[in-house]
Amino acid sequence: MSVVATFEQVSKRYGGTTAVRPTSFDLRPGVVGLLGPNGAGKTTLLRLLSTALPPSTGRIVIAGFDVTASHVNRVEARRRLGYCPQEVTLPRGMTASGFLDYVAVLKEWKDAAARHAEVRRVLDLVDLGDRGATRLSRLSGGQRRRVVIAQALIGAPELLVLDEPTTGLDPEQRASLRGLLSGLAGTVLISTHQTEDVSALCDRVLVIDAGAIRFDGTVTELLATAAGRVHLGPSASTGAVQTWKTGTGLVRSVGGQPAPDSCVVDPSVEDAYLLLRSEGRTRQGVT
Amino acid sequence: MSWHVDDQVWQAYVGGRLDAAAEASVDTHVARCAECRATARRNAPAATAERVWADVRATITVPAPSAPVRLLRRLGARDDDLVALSGADSLLVPWAVAVGFAVACACLVGLAGLGPVNQHTVFLAAAPLGPVLAIVAAYDALDPLRELAAPTPYSKLRLALLRACAALAVALPSTAAIGLVVPAMEDLAWVWLAPSFGLTLGALVLLTWWDAKVAGAMVCALWTGLVVVVRTNGTVDPLTEPLAQAGFVAAGLVLAGALVLRTSTLRLQGGEL
Repeated sequence: MSVVATFEQVSKRYGGTTAVRPTSFDLRPGVVGLLGPNGAGKTTLLRLLSTALPPSTGRIVIAGFDVTASHVNRVEARRRLGYCPQEVTLPRGMTASGFLDYVAVLKEWKDAAARHAEVRRVLDLVDLGDRGATRLSRLSGGQRRRVVIAQALIGAPELLVLDEPTTGLDPEQRASLRGLLSGLAGTVLISTHQTEDVSALCDRVLVIDAGAIRFDGTVTELLATAAGRVHLGPSASTGAVQTWKTGTGLVRSVGGQPAPDSCVVDPSVEDAYLLLRSEGRTRQGVT
Repeated sequence: MSWHVDDQVWQAYVGGRLDAAAEASVDTHVARCAECRATARRNAPAATAERVWADVRATITVPAPSAPVRLLRRLGARDDDLVALSGADSLLVPWAVAVGFAVACACLVGLAGLGPVNQHTVFLAAAPLGPVLAIVAAYDALDPLRELAAPTPYSKLRLALLRACAALAVALPSTAAIGLVVPAMEDLAWVWLAPSFGLTLGALVLLTWWDAKVAGAMVCALWTGLVVVVRTNGTVDPLTEPLAQAGFVAAGLVLAGALVLRTSTLRLQGGEL
């Protein structure tokens, strides 16, 4: 599969603070999940990839265009990407279709008839086909979130960058969004705190912590890092990273020395992520 | 019913080939004949209902343009430019700045009990800055949709200039109103225009280097400093002389050239315009 986007030793500093350490990776067609705690640098990394933010060092190539080299390249790359920010203050007086029409103009849809048809298409994709004429202020939080996702889908971009798109969506809407994203032909990089979204949707996972990529592999490979390290038993494992009492009354322990009578259970993406985080903290000398 | 619409008539009816009288006859008959109504449903092209619904949906979901947008469209403004400006909520801040500044300026000049010389000084120090402040407020730093606009291919320079024009559309009449509504200011009612032209273009040039607040502060400090210096040497009348006014216009033209040069250079160097 061809490379759609490349990060080469990309870093971002804000004054004396390093948000993203020198990082390199490629993105190919498919859905890639980006996991990490708050403040890990996820949003900065996505803003760098979406060209909303210039890097401090390194090179970013999107669809063959080095966006760090020239404005012309950046514009060409922008014609091929869609970006859904984590937070957007929507103009509450506009209708959903009016807002999408505005974004479509910013994406160079000059012909009004084609633009309006595209707006209807993306509204249908996010199940808001009957809400086009509704003011944004009258939509629910989940519906507004879907409008923001819809604007990223305008023009069927080759590269879709979604920053926590499932925030504010109910389970049915999240499942619907998963269906939509899994059916897209291009490359999707999705940042999320919902580890079940990653296991259900993503071909590949990046885990970022303290501005550095800690893991880059498939979901199966991520799960393999936690194999045999998650236990269920009458009491918690010694030195476990996380423990909690399940609905059955048994205690699930992630990591640590298993208690007697405990049994090994299949790890989830969340278990693997917690273990990875714990090992990252240990390496950095944080307890 | 003694008769029913035959296939040949149905085809002519559906194809719109019947004359008005025959068509009315079919309409009347079908309204009263259940059998022909059933036939009519079979004869209606299957896709018609979907096509009609698609057309209805297309009509009701197309954003209805506001009255000013319709007017500008009739005057020949480009449709996509008008849509780009239709993120109108984001222009409420610069418009409020323009009107608020004009009102505050009018109150200060007219109601502060200043003598004629100081009244002229305050007016000349403040009025030219109204459009500057509106443009600074309209610049993308305060655009709530900036995060969405940034990673799109649309020219940020074009967007900034469109927003500047929209800001000026309110700022210029608001500022003009100060000189027209405050008593005894008729002689100076329009002298703010030339310095404002130069200062506005100066602000636009500075905005290609610094962010909106810094650029705005620099222009405001420069102009008020100049007025204070002139005032300390007597009255502000030298700033209203034709030669000075011509100088402001000339400076504006030079700065317009600098703006074009600066934005072209930024494009070549990979800048963000």
